[in-house]
Formats: sequence, C-alpha cells, structure tokens
Amino acid sequence: MEKLIHGDLSIEVTVAAGVFRCAWHGRSSERAPAETLRPWFAKLLEAVLAGAGSIEMHFEQIERFNSSTITALIKLIQTCRKNNVLLVMVYDQTLKWQRLSFDALRVFEKNDGLFHLRPV
Amino acid sequence: MTEIDEFVFAIDLTFRNEWRNVDLLSTSVQNCFLAVFADVDGCHTIAMVTGELLENALKYGDWVAGDRGMFRLRVGSSEGDVEVSVQSPVKQNDSSATSLLEQVTWIESFGDPAQAYRARMLAIANDEQDVAPSRLGLVRIAFEGNCRLSAKVEHDAVTVTARFVPDRV
Repeated sequence: MEKLIHGDLSIEVTVAAGVFRCAWHGRSSERAPAETLRPWFAKLLEAVLAGAGSIEMHFEQIERFNSSTITALIKLIQTCRKNNVLLVMVYDQTLKWQRLSFDALRVFEKNDGLFHLRPV
Repeated sequence: MTEIDEFVFAIDLTFRNEWRNVDLLSTSVQNCFLAVFADVDGCHTIAMVTGELLENALKYGDWVAGDRGMFRLRVGSSEGDVEVSVQSPVKQNDSSATSLLEQVTWIESFGDPAQAYRARMLAIANDEQDVAPSRLGLVRIAFEGNCRLSAKVEHDAVTVTARFVPDRV
C-alpha cells in the first residue's frame, strides 16, 4: 500500500499482523479532500480485505483538518462497516480540538464492534 | 484568555478569493492570537472557526459576477467577546444564500450545538448518494468552537459571524 501525499497532507502505511496502520501527518485543508482520499481509501480497503486485516487510523500527529475531511472520514466508517472491516481511529486526547472532533464520532460506535475510537 | 479586555485585537482586511488563502489567513489569525493570549487550544479554535468560515464563503460565494472586493475577514474583540466574520459576494435571490441562512437558523434551533453536530453527521452518513453538500463546517463552528452563529444578506453580500466568549473556548 503506497503512502498518500497530497498538498500538505501525508498518510504513511505500515502493516503488521494484518493491521494496516495509517499515520496522518500535516494538514488536510484541500477544497475537496474526498477526491483524493476516497480512491486511496478504496485501495486501502481492497488490500485489507485481501488479507482479512483491519485498519488503524492514527491522527495524533496531524496539525488540523477541515470539515470536508471529517465528512470523508464518516464515509470511510460507513464503507468499512459495510465490508465488515474493523476500523480504529486513534487520537491525542490532550489536544482539545482532537478530543472534540473524535469524541463526536462515538455516535458511530455500535454493538457490531467494527468501529472504535482510541484516545491516547 | 481571561484578560481580553486588556488587549485591543482587531483584524479587518479584504483579500483574493484563492483557496490557499484559507490556510494562510487562518494560520495568521492563530499566530496573532497566540502572540496575545498564549492559549494554544483557544487559538486553534479561532483558527478553525476562521478557516471554516472562509471555506464556506469560497464554496458558496458569487466569484464570477460578484465584487471580489467584498471578500472580507474581520476578527476582533468587543466587551469580552471575540467575533470572527467573513463577508462574501452573493447573487440576488441566490439559493445558496437562502440555504446558508436556513442552515444558521437550523443550528441555532438546537439548545445544544452538540446535538446539531450529531444530527448533521448522521445525515451525512445516511446520504449514500452524496447528493447534498455536507454543510458540516458551520455546525462544526457551533459545536467545536462553542460559537453563536448569525448571518445576514445585504448589498449583494452575505456576512456570517461567529461569536464566542474566550473563557469558553
């Protein structure tokens, strides 16, 4: 799985024991980030499904993202759930903006256990 | 950020309608506030509010026939409150301006902005066809920024204002 680099954003992927760890760096402030993220997410999901793996999205190092990026993440949660792929989002709870942004996504945590938020 | 009355803080400028200016301006506002208040969380919130308002204006403003000189950012403090407002040109009877006013009214109809944010996120998740704009930016301002929003259309321009009390940032 290739690293994503677009504008001020990069997402680096490492794979260990079937877990695709995606580390977000920089800023996601493009006008339409979904145009870049969606096809990259689709490739990621394809690779994960091929290996019956799971996804960990790490946001601890990201500086900021816009609401269009949040929209793309909500779509990713839905897509992973439809494909029975475990998705974990890891964030820095000591940063107020990350705590607010990600805690709000708890509305998508369900009993199926396919989506988790992990504050660190 | 409890000593805001001791400082004079005012930014008022017009600028080009280029997307890269969103990041340039929101970062500038963040750095200015950081220099004054030294509150990292609060300054990040102000930058987020500024960025979302600018993005909203660039996406829905009339940048073809409208007066580009109407793209204006104002950030200032008054009586202990901080306000961020963005003005952009709009067509007369434009549906996007009407939609924006309705959006602000919708957000303010919730007693708690967290409920509005949750409702918007669920609507986005359920919109499988992606036909409607997400309109998440304004409700994010209300929720994450803990801001009161207002909007007005006059003289071929729409102005959206986010007002918050610094102590609550």
